[in-house]
Amino acid sequence: MKSAPFEHHEPESVSEAVSLLESLDDPTILAGGQSLVPMLRFRLANPDVVVDINGIDSLEYLREEDGYLKLGALARHADVEDSDLIDERYGSFADTAPLVADPQIRNRGTVVGSVAQADPKGDWGSVLIAHDGEVVVEGPDGERAIPADEFFLLPYDTTLGEEELITEARVPTPADREGSAYHKLKRKTGDYAMAGVAARLRFDDDGRIESAGIGMTAVDITNARASEAEEALEGERPSPELFEEAGELAAEASNPESDEHGDASYKERMVDVLAQRALGDAAERAGAVKRRVTQ
Amino acid sequence: MSDEREITLTVNGTEHTIEVEPRRLLVHAIREDLGMTGTHIGCDTGNCGACTVLVDGEPIKSCLMFAAQADGSEILTVEGMEDLPDAGPELHPLQEGFKEEHGLQCGYCTPGMLMAGKALLEENPDPDEEEIREAISGNLCRCTGYQNIVKAIEYAADELDDAERVAADGGALAADTAGDGGPDPADGPLYEADAGDADTFCGREDCCGGPSTDETHPGEDPPAQFDTEHMGGDDE
Ligand SMILES: Cc1cc2nc3c(=O)[nH]c(=O)nc-3n(C[C@H](O)[C@H](O)[C@H](O)COP(=O)(O)OP(=O)(O)OC[C@H]3O[C@@H](n4cnc5c(N)ncnc54)[C@H](O)[C@@H]3O)c2cc1C
Ligand code: FES
Ligand code: FES
Repeated sequence: MKSAPFEHHEPESVSEAVSLLESLDDPTILAGGQSLVPMLRFRLANPDVVVDINGIDSLEYLREEDGYLKLGALARHADVEDSDLIDERYGSFADTAPLVADPQIRNRGTVVGSVAQADPKGDWGSVLIAHDGEVVVEGPDGERAIPADEFFLLPYDTTLGEEELITEARVPTPADREGSAYHKLKRKTGDYAMAGVAARLRFDDDGRIESAGIGMTAVDITNARASEAEEALEGERPSPELFEEAGELAAEASNPESDEHGDASYKERMVDVLAQRALGDAAERAGAVKRRVTQ
Repeated sequence: MSDEREITLTVNGTEHTIEVEPRRLLVHAIREDLGMTGTHIGCDTGNCGACTVLVDGEPIKSCLMFAAQADGSEILTVEGMEDLPDAGPELHPLQEGFKEEHGLQCGYCTPGMLMAGKALLEENPDPDEEEIREAISGNLCRCTGYQNIVKAIEYAADELDDAERVAADGGALAADTAGDGGPDPADGPLYEADAGDADTFCGREDCCGGPSTDETHPGEDPPAQFDTEHMGGDDE
């Protein structure tokens, strides 16, 4: 099916984009288009005006700056996949990028667009949550940063204002003894997650877990945090028993729905397993354990 | 409200200027405005990959991009493959590979598979099986079971590698075997010449000209159903 007709605007700067969002009636932002184009074609989205941000070169970046890893709104999944910085320092990002969709979609789709899409099955939201990340938005009243926890409201619904543009997603740079990972269960290559878990662990000099972050994919109405599991980890030393306990708590915190791919109890069990694996990888990458302490 | 707009697409080296509505998808511009129906449409959802083309060298799904967004880009579609510098006299080694290795049945997925394969070999001239499967993971095939598609891309990688070696040798091998003052070995009929290349030729008079299994998998026993003729011929 064809999209309904729309006006196509191509701003070249963030300020131009924001003034378009402010002045035009019913505008929708177009980034990689890998979610929006199908929605337009199915007429699930019927905007009169599309503000295409692909010409805003200043949004094409992926870098560390001011204590953050920053991904500009035009950082594509493939940019993350190909980045040496990511490979060296951000295990969860390195795990996630190649698991998103397929190579063609990763060449176009953006991390920020995926977060903005707020599909509970989207992978990046969980990574942002595990890292205590934020989205930085620009609007008529200037810039504000929204913590990932406050960003997602409902499936496909966020706290982003209608006249706001996300310019960046960012997470704090890791401490010396910090590691992260993402594990995703899917039916076949290229699919959305049936369940996914992102984990981040930071250790103190004594080898205890100083801070933990766990984000879950596809098992609630939004990407969700497993707070009880995080609390159980903090202050403890890594061990298979500890990670088992955290896995169980994450499964309890999840709220999956039964569907054709599996019933809710199966998905909860998968959250448990994926959480243990992600925690095991995170601890290993932090250098806190010699090798994985889980299966 | 949605005015047509003039855009320029350079498709397979030829510049085209067309008028499109903003909602015109790239795949429709290619198929309907430019009349190149080699690029297929298999789904409405971005899942199948049949519409894959290269935009400025990158594989993308042309059903998930508006034509206006490709304004000013260089696009490669299946129709352009036989004219690429590394193509043979009739076909590109990738196309040859699909033919030789039975990499297609109904052919619906093939143009997209060729594009995904082309993008892969451009970046990684010597991919292993896993890398090939990853590169075509955005392309669905309902017929072949993928096995022969993987072999087809391996075939092309070998051919292109041989061609490169011949070119690096100053065309000596090609000159030996073709011996007819043919075109420049760098873009000439290298995969024909390869049939006579002492490194890969199995030695049988009725050699099928396919890749020698020994060459492809040194030191490994070939699967029983594969190329037994070549194996017989290789015994010394
Ligand atoms: C076949 C298929 C498989 C997929 N598999 C996965 C998968 O496994 N995991 C996964 O996470 N995703 C998957 N996706 C989705 C993919 O990751 C998309 O790239 C992503 O969801 C949207 O990013 P985009 O840049 O393409 O955004 P678009 O499609 O351009 O936009 C998506 C939404 O976000 C809004 N938006 C975009 N950028 C901004 C911005 N800067 N500021 C404010 N709003 C903005 C748009 O208005 C729109 O509402 C898949 C998609 C397809 C078609
Ligand atoms: S037609 Fe484009 S992915 Fe199927
Ligand atoms: S050959 Fe029929 S879909 Fe691939």
